[in-house]
Amino acid sequence: LSVTWEDGHASTFDVEILRTELMEMVLNVSESTGKHQWNWTSPVPLECTSLSVKVRSRDGQDVSEWSSQQILPGLDLPDNTDSQMYPEGKTVPVGSNMTFCCIVEEGQQFGSLWYKDTLMKENMLSRRTYATTMTNQGSSNPSGTNVVCSNEKKMIIAGAVVFVGYPPLPSDLVCETHDLISVDCQWSKGRDTYLFGMTRQTYYTLNGRNCPKARNSNMRCGLEQWDGNWTLVARNLLGEFRLTDAAELGHRVRPVAPVNLTTPEVYSWNASVGWLWKDKGFERLSLICQVQRTSHLNSSTQTYTGYGLNTVVLKDLQPDEKYSVKVRCGSQKNFWKWGEWSFPLSFQTKMDRPVAPDIWLWMDSDNLGRVLWKPLTKSESHGQISGYEVILWSPEENSQQTLTLPQSVYSLPINVTDRGSKVTVTVTAQNPAGASLPANVVIPRYLLDAEDTAISKVAFNGSGFPLSWVAHANASCGYVVDWYNTSCTQDCNVEWTRVAADNTNTMVQSGNFFAGVRYTFSVYACSSESTVLLERWHGYMQELVPSRTVPRLSPKQEGADVQLTWDQIPLEHQGGFILGYTVYLTNASHLTLLANITDPQLTNHTVKNLVLGSYKFTVKAYTAAGEDGGATVSISLEPYTYWLIMEILVALGTMTCLLIVITIAFTGFSFSIFTILWKTMPGTGLICVCFQGTLDVKPSPHSMVHIVEDSVWDSSKEALVTVPEEDEEGTGDEAADTDEPASLRYYNQVVEEGSSSQRRPHASDSSASSTGSMDSGHTDVTYTGIQTSACYRPQMQSASCPEEPQTGPEEHLQPPVGSFGGYQPQCSWKPDSPEADGDGLDQACLGSPTSVTSSQFLLPYDTSEEGKEHPSSASTWFHNLLTGKP
Amino acid sequence: MSGHVKNMCPQLTISQAARTLLSLLLVAAIDSVSAGVVCRKQPCGSSLQRSLKLTKLIHKESVDLLKTYKLSQGDMSELFCQMSINNVPDPNISGLDPSERMLSIYSHCKAFLPHLKRVTEQQTDLQPPSSSLLSKLSTAHNRTNGLANQINCIYQTLFPNLPIPPEPVDGPTSVPPSQNVFQQKVYGCVVLKRFKEFLSRVTRELRTLKSQVCTRRTPFADTNALF
Repeated sequence: LSVTWEDGHASTFDVEILRTELMEMVLNVSESTGKHQWNWTSPVPLECTSLSVKVRSRDGQDVSEWSSQQILPGLDLPDNTDSQMYPEGKTVPVGSNMTFCCIVEEGQQFGSLWYKDTLMKENMLSRRTYATTMTNQGSSNPSGTNVVCSNEKKMIIAGAVVFVGYPPLPSDLVCETHDLISVDCQWSKGRDTYLFGMTRQTYYTLNGRNCPKARNSNMRCGLEQWDGNWTLVARNLLGEFRLTDAAELGHRVRPVAPVNLTTPEVYSWNASVGWLWKDKGFERLSLICQVQRTSHLNSSTQTYTGYGLNTVVLKDLQPDEKYSVKVRCGSQKNFWKWGEWSFPLSFQTKMDRPVAPDIWLWMDSDNLGRVLWKPLTKSESHGQISGYEVILWSPEENSQQTLTLPQSVYSLPINVTDRGSKVTVTVTAQNPAGASLPANVVIPRYLLDAEDTAISKVAFNGSGFPLSWVAHANASCGYVVDWYNTSCTQDCNVEWTRVAADNTNTMVQSGNFFAGVRYTFSVYACSSESTVLLERWHGYMQELVPSRTVPRLSPKQEGADVQLTWDQIPLEHQGGFILGYTVYLTNASHLTLLANITDPQLTNHTVKNLVLGSYKFTVKAYTAAGEDGGATVSISLEPYTYWLIMEILVALGTMTCLLIVITIAFTGFSFSIFTILWKTMPGTGLICVCFQGTLDVKPSPHSMVHIVEDSVWDSSKEALVTVPEEDEEGTGDEAADTDEPASLRYYNQVVEEGSSSQRRPHASDSSASSTGSMDSGHTDVTYTGIQTSACYRPQMQSASCPEEPQTGPEEHLQPPVGSFGGYQPQCSWKPDSPEADGDGLDQACLGSPTSVTSSQFLLPYDTSEEGKEHPSSASTWFHNLLTGKP
Repeated sequence: MSGHVKNMCPQLTISQAARTLLSLLLVAAIDSVSAGVVCRKQPCGSSLQRSLKLTKLIHKESVDLLKTYKLSQGDMSELFCQMSINNVPDPNISGLDPSERMLSIYSHCKAFLPHLKRVTEQQTDLQPPSSSLLSKLSTAHNRTNGLANQINCIYQTLFPNLPIPPEPVDGPTSVPPSQNVFQQKVYGCVVLKRFKEFLSRVTRELRTLKSQVCTRRTPFADTNALF
């Protein structure tokens, strides 16, 4: 607002500004400049409401009258009925304060004022005008910040947009030349102005010239001539910023990229590369250039210098290799920056003779073997390999054999029979450029593992097998270490590596090592005269447990001992170094360690002092990684049958002879002897022959004993008694759980008169006998006739069951419970036991008539004292007779 | 153009077959060119179907365009479209018979074009060059122009005896004079909102026209013959 007035000579004037409509004081100032003019910038847009201005002069204490009011009309006058908002479209800096006013349409009621999404507190300036002030404004989005005014119905009636941003602040102005003539300046945009659009964006000038291309992030501007000094002015509605730069032309040379790259000369191992300069000035400038060459092998960069440099020679190239090269240069003197890379140029070098192949020999036997060589890599072949030539030369026999092989063959079987002790093999590779130098090797002597050289173990250390050996005097061409799968016998994959003569250790590494596979490593001393094996190792990359169990595990009974024998696990299944074997006694799923054999060569073990019964033995081989699954074998210890039979036969023979001698010698007394014998067994009419020992009678798988009714059976006659090998506790109604066929063992007590082989149990009451018998799924007694006479009871077993011979508690292995294949002796059946007589007997005789678990032969129940004694005395007598006991 | 094309006689000596082929092509061109638009003769149903597909596409894009527009105008822009602005084309399609309604569609398309252009110009000064709003506005303008041309062709095919008036039948809706930034924002919002509504109506209208005009082709041809 600019106020001017006339007249008045005072030096001070009072100016008063009021809002016309409400007559509210806006400003009252005293101006002492003496001028008749006063400028004032209103914080509230002047369009918002009418302002009244009046002025008076002041001279000391004398004050003039106020001038008449001058009214600056606002846009809220009644004839301007529309809703409006001010200011509109202003651009202000971030952090500034700004007052907005809303002029409400005639007839509407003011509602609210919003700055962005913030409800503002309004201030009434006039009947229709309301104002609000926003302080410390933040930056706008590209389309500006909205300020809106709504009526009482919350409908927008007017609005304004304000753009809040920053003045430009560029930095880093740098000018350079690419052609030694013009200048190209670049700078950083710097802080974002948050101002967009034709009127609000930032404009740049360089030395007074517009930079229309300086937009967005492309902050650069050029001039046709090198001035030496540059001034960049960045300007927007909020201000401007200046940047300057100054430099000599020679200090700011950044050449354009060379063009038209060519390769005038290309050879196998080097090539020359040339280029042109678009600007002739570079032909008279000392240049430094980088040439980057890229092949399928690698990429490297070489630097060259020269005056007007436009040709370089590339060295150390690979024959028959495709290269791509590109060039960039800079000023050698006062180097500023590298120029742009040229477009790449591709070329291919010429072929050359291949390098000598790496060859080796692997002998299967003294005369047979294979010549091996490694395929040449691309960097070794120097061109497409067309084939190989192999020469076997024997100086002693003065013979030579030459073979030509195609490119895909990398081994050749050889037979050096009748070729002398020293045979040299020479291999050359051939390509279109020629043949390689020959690779020679003298055939080494074939050595088995067991021969001459000691074999050590070598451990894998995570990255390879570390090998070291004693230096050999004649290793003029170094050492060769080869390795292969030890278990391989034919056409094995042999790998090898060469070690320099001054080195006696190496780390064998290969991608073909597998866990659980044994490898043989051999180191040879190589010379033109011979190839000598120095040392050999076996090793595993990782030891595993054996992949199969010991083969051919078999038991052999030797009296009370069992000898277990087995074979060694084949090498390919060992998985690691076999450290030994463990022998277990298997009881269901439980394993009891019997022995740990730490000598891997020992493949047998004897388990001693076993009692009769069935056993399962498990043998496991173990390596450093652990045991294998284990091989299991079962055995049932048999009584000493043959010895027993022999004993019986000898005793019978002896007795027969004795009787014959006595009969012949004392014929006259024969009647007397008969009488004596008759008196020995009164009432039975039997000749009792008793013997000690067990007679093994293997039953059928189901151990069926058929008891056939015999109508002429006499309960007073004897019976054959069977005694199980072991006792069973209780009444014998618990089944002996075994998965092996039952093995009945009969303890012969009595031989029936006339026919000792006719064994018929006295089944007077089948139900009673079956109940009283031990229950067994494998021993069924089928009754084809049931007699109603007295029940059977076990014969003459004493209250204390016959004890198994004990040689010491710790020396004896008891047959495992549950896996025992035999029958328990019915030792609990005593003649005087409650179960054996009276009601107890009756009770014991109840049960199924078709299931008898006992393997005992039953004797008729005899209540007489004689009946109790005679069998015992007869058997004892006969036993004593056989054994010679008194 | 009024569908009149001069036949330029080639001075070169050409074969009879080539001359015949050239003649056929020229006849086809003359027949298809009308009112500045090259129209290919297509069955009624397929041409209307094609326009219907285009309309659906523009309508779908207009929904997204309006959404993008509001998002790029700052706070409270959701309420801008509720403000009243004069001289923005009405979205309603007028007319009693199919020819009038098709003419109304055509003239509306033409009427919206300068407004879309103005909004594009205004927003170019308010958005960064990379803004998707600018590209969408440009696309909407181009597609609407294409739709207008298609409607023109269909109209000429269906009603060959009825000329297309040079001015929009619903009266001119000139682009507004200079506006302040806030008014520009409100103006753009109203234009795009009405544009979207218009396309919705055109979609319905073209469906109706397709069923009416293309299934009862002869009666309308007879009707046109009366004019």
